[in-house]
Amino acid sequence: MVISNPIYFIALPLIAAFLLPLIGKVYKPLIRIFPGLVFAFMAYISFDLFLNLQAGEAKIIQIAGWEQPWGINLVYGHFSGFITLIITTLAFLVWVYSYKFKKVGFDNSQKFFILLMLMVAGSIGVVLTGDIFNLFVFIEITAISSYGLTAFYKGRDGAEAAFKFLLIGALSSTFLLLGILILYTQTGTLNMAELAVKIKTIEPATQALVLILFFVGFGIEAEMFPLNGWVPDAYSQAPAPVAAAFAGMLAKSGIYGLVRIIYTIFDLNGIFGLLLIMGLLTMVIAETAALKQKNIRRMLAYSSMGQMGLIMIAFSLNTKSGIYAALFLMFNHAVIKTMLFFSAGFLTYTTKNKKISDLDGFGKIMPFTALMFGLGAFAIVGFPPFSGFWSKISVLVATADKGFYLVLATILITSIVEIVYYFKIIGRLYFKKAHKEVEVHKPSWNAQIAMLILAVIIITIGIYPDLITGYITNAADALFDKAAYIKHVLPNLTLN
Amino acid sequence: MQEYLTYSVYGSAILLMLIGLYAALVKKNLIKIVIGLSILDAGVHLLFVAVGYLNNATAPIFSEAVIGKNVVMADPVPQALVLTAIVIGFGVTAVALALVVRLYRKHNTTNIDEIKNLKW
Repeated sequence: MVISNPIYFIALPLIAAFLLPLIGKVYKPLIRIFPGLVFAFMAYISFDLFLNLQAGEAKIIQIAGWEQPWGINLVYGHFSGFITLIITTLAFLVWVYSYKFKKVGFDNSQKFFILLMLMVAGSIGVVLTGDIFNLFVFIEITAISSYGLTAFYKGRDGAEAAFKFLLIGALSSTFLLLGILILYTQTGTLNMAELAVKIKTIEPATQALVLILFFVGFGIEAEMFPLNGWVPDAYSQAPAPVAAAFAGMLAKSGIYGLVRIIYTIFDLNGIFGLLLIMGLLTMVIAETAALKQKNIRRMLAYSSMGQMGLIMIAFSLNTKSGIYAALFLMFNHAVIKTMLFFSAGFLTYTTKNKKISDLDGFGKIMPFTALMFGLGAFAIVGFPPFSGFWSKISVLVATADKGFYLVLATILITSIVEIVYYFKIIGRLYFKKAHKEVEVHKPSWNAQIAMLILAVIIITIGIYPDLITGYITNAADALFDKAAYIKHVLPNLTLN
Repeated sequence: MQEYLTYSVYGSAILLMLIGLYAALVKKNLIKIVIGLSILDAGVHLLFVAVGYLNNATAPIFSEAVIGKNVVMADPVPQALVLTAIVIGFGVTAVALALVVRLYRKHNTTNIDEIKNLKW
């Protein structure tokens, strides 16, 4: 269709976010309905664009008529299209889940939806842009709106979590800016494709410095090990749909930025070894920490960090099967973690501390939500008929192909740790007697619909993985083929 | 002489960044931390502008007066970038101060050591 243009992914939520207060003046309930319309339209055009994308092609959009490499461009290829599809679909589901969000008034949902739309615009911008400074701007849009979302509840310690997040975020984005400055002084360009060509002229020492600055800049959103101190606090203090959105969008755009600069721009020995080490550290430390968490949201946050570590390991293999596994993991992490956060949000709705021990016997008290949580837990640890199985097995195969048996063993051991702490919760849900006097908050119908859609996705992909494997293979090829990216963006340049 | 001047600009930019980093990482007062972040930002911005500077160059404005003449212009790109970066830095500072207000109202202190409901 004519209307399907990647520019809408960024322009539409930005305009809608700032129009929302005005629309609310016309008719109050529109505050809730309008974001849904925007997200539904975005999901529609992302499906339309992605399914009509020819193999090996990429859509390039030049903004404001400036020719590349001088102007800002958006690159909608197979890889970025796939991530965009995940983000837009999740954004719509988060809206469905939070439609009746906190009935206390429209003021709250107005703030919530404005910030959510800004975050969606930012994270899609990170994925689509082909200009490295523009990348920084979108990272900052995403970051600032997520600070706001973290501090959303006044009753909890949201402000404290948000300030911690802001402190790490502001420092690391300054380093990112510094890295961009060094790249610009060395090459005189900001276009990612042209940078990829000119990077060879930079000395390896300078490249390594820039790379480390970029690792710090993106690592915070990708939940990489030394920079993920904010994650458990933000995930446990923010509203449940926001935690889901962080896992599904913020972390995805962070890892996208990291992987894009590693695969497309830099040309340096040992770069994948660094990523492998960071991934292993992130995974091992996060999964061990998850084991002893008493708060369910903190546990899910640590588990999310562990998954991101696994994704980094898969990306660090630098083979097509590794990228394939990583993309499949990203898809599963987005879908399943969202499911877990959605269901955990209602399971612990009435308890103040969100303790795991408060969940005793909830399998009988809230059968639907407990079932959904159980399904998510089974899927994320990688049991067969669920989608998590296929991604886990492809990671293991890719690692074995590369010959990293020690890494393979580590992944298996942490998987067992994962099984232990998820099954601890399932055991409490189904095999323990309920506490007396439990308050129950029935999940609203819209939240049930959102969870049901996610469940259908998890089971369908689990039974028919062929539905998406073709697209993931295309996306992996697109990321792996650096020359094709440069050729699409700058047809007149040759890579030599 | 001119060289020393250039070096002094770079030097002061790096000095600003170090001062900002020190304040953001070492100080205990929330307001001082926010000020440190601003100073750090200012250092990077100064570095940006210094990179785009050229000796004896004019402002990068395309006008009748420069057409056909051999005029050296300063690099406009860092200037455009630094404008954007300043706006972003302003936004971050505003959000940070809003959070400080919230924290102060809740805990009645701006000392970071006394605010530890969450594990730091």
